Amino acid sequence: MRIPFLSIFIASPFEGLQEHAEKVKECAWTFQQAIECHIEKKCESFTKFVKEISMLESEADAIKRRIRGHLPKGTMLPVDKFQLFRYLREQDSILDAVEDAVDWISYRPEPGIPAEVAEDFILLADQAVAPIEELNIMVTEARNYFTSFSKKQRMIVKEIIHNIRQMEHDADTTEDMVKQKVFTSITDPIMVFHLIRLSETIGSIADHAENAGDMMRAMIAE
Amino acid sequence: MSPEYYVLITGYIFGFYMAWNIGANDVANSMASAVGAKALTIRQAVFIAGILNIVGATFIGSHVTNTIRKGIVSTSILTDPHLALIGALSALLAAALWVSFATWKSLPVSTTHSIVGAMIGFGIMAGGFSVINWGKLAAVVISWVVSPLISMIISYIMFKCIVRFILARRDPYSRAINLSKYFIGITVFIIILSFLFKTPLGKRLAMETHEALILAVIIATGLGLLGKLAIKKFFSSKKRKADTEEIFKVIQIGTSCYVALAQGANDVANAIGPLAVIYFLVKTGSVGATVPVPIFLLLFGGVGISLGIGMAGHRVMKTLGTKITTLNNTRGFSVDFAAATTVMIASKLGLPVSTTHAAVGGVLGVGFARGMEAVNFKIIFQIIVYWILTVPAAAFTSMIIFLILKHVI
Repeated sequence: MRIPFLSIFIASPFEGLQEHAEKVKECAWTFQQAIECHIEKKCESFTKFVKEISMLESEADAIKRRIRGHLPKGTMLPVDKFQLFRYLREQDSILDAVEDAVDWISYRPEPGIPAEVAEDFILLADQAVAPIEELNIMVTEARNYFTSFSKKQRMIVKEIIHNIRQMEHDADTTEDMVKQKVFTSITDPIMVFHLIRLSETIGSIADHAENAGDMMRAMIAE
Repeated sequence: MSPEYYVLITGYIFGFYMAWNIGANDVANSMASAVGAKALTIRQAVFIAGILNIVGATFIGSHVTNTIRKGIVSTSILTDPHLALIGALSALLAAALWVSFATWKSLPVSTTHSIVGAMIGFGIMAGGFSVINWGKLAAVVISWVVSPLISMIISYIMFKCIVRFILARRDPYSRAINLSKYFIGITVFIIILSFLFKTPLGKRLAMETHEALILAVIIATGLGLLGKLAIKKFFSSKKRKADTEEIFKVIQIGTSCYVALAQGANDVANAIGPLAVIYFLVKTGSVGATVPVPIFLLLFGGVGISLGIGMAGHRVMKTLGTKITTLNNTRGFSVDFAAATTVMIASKLGLPVSTTHAAVGGVLGVGFARGMEAVNFKIIFQIIVYWILTVPAAAFTSMIIFLILKHVI
């Protein structure tokens, strides 16, 4: 027997959004470890990290599908349903970018990232991952805003979005710097191609985080 | 033992079954928002709703019931006691069957409308279409639209006000404490008015409208101010900082209790009315437009409703955790307030409204105000279809049961 009246209420998509953001964060951490390990040369666990990332990605995918599949037509939410989906897509693209980056590294395991630019790549990876941790906090705070509608809470969310934008900008600057350095200090054309493409892929992690932040800004618009 | 006594025993069984179903189907009306908003635990909610339903049914419930609920069918069909006996029995069973079907399908239908539909079915079989009071039936039809709509508008405005004047402010917590006198006052005002207008006990007091209004304003002002002081004291004595929602939690417990009490008082007649007719026919052999209802029958109905609540309450435990985690106290209060106000307004207008319809409308209103994390709007249309289906379905079932019983007895 089911309970009349309660059938009006359905599971909140924000719960799923938080879960998904959590997966993205885990994935970003694993990515950081993977890059550091790869640069250390004697890395044996790189493939393990790649596997872990791909596992996290598919778990997050399942959450994404669950959110999309469980909002029937005519669901009333505090935000527009399609805004929510677009936000989710951006958040999910972060995972894709992370996966692309580690895959790209794994295509050319030797000689990998040369010592001249190793430090710069670690810096770039750190900066690309930084906005993702903020993103996680943002989802929780935004959910708070949608229940309290408090102006103060809205300011908190806006502040976080602002931070994310700033972080993306920093990552962008580093990306430019890395590319310049690759062109000036590396002569092997294949190596150059590999590294340039890698820096772009890592850079796009932060881009997607920024896009997600922008979508959130649209969702909390009054 | 004469066959009438078998009918009476069957009547008791069906009446109890109907009461059980009312409890099972309506448990969510009074307590869902309070439990969803964690104002009460499920155990507390089931317990309180059970007790208040028994109290409401026994002491506030009508000691005299119209033989035909809401006067939709002419009492001329009751002149033949044998037919009246069969009719009351089949109406009771038909309504109970429909309500249990609705409970099984998870559809919040009106138990009042079910018994009204069942009576119509019996009326048509016993006296043809001419015995139906079409004007009264039209009022039922209007109520399908009016009660959810009024409730929706009220809860929308109420929730928007809460957001505007409390939640969106810099210090929502102290705003809420300051404004709590208004929220408590207006709630008490509505509760007192509906107590006077809607419950049978209030009707027995027979107060004029303006007298009732003045009385309600005085009590509401007093309780509003007292309530604010009590809330202030209660929350300032607490060590940790409470939040806005907790203030509404206190108010919401009050509204939920009122809904449970009123539900017991009003809905018990849906199960006990036809049973009282059977009881009276068996004891005296004839029946008029109204019959006195012995207090043990009211208690019997109240216990039936409470048992339904208790047994369905356990299912609520499983469902609630996943389903309405997102309904917090400000939303719950808006829904409760809207439902109670709508029932009051509509019954003052003479419309046979259902608390169920009003509660659904209230949820929608908060949803439109963007206050719900997720509400399935589409299911509302499905629900409305069943509201409309209730009357003909109960009528049709009642006709068939009437035909069968006529051959048997």
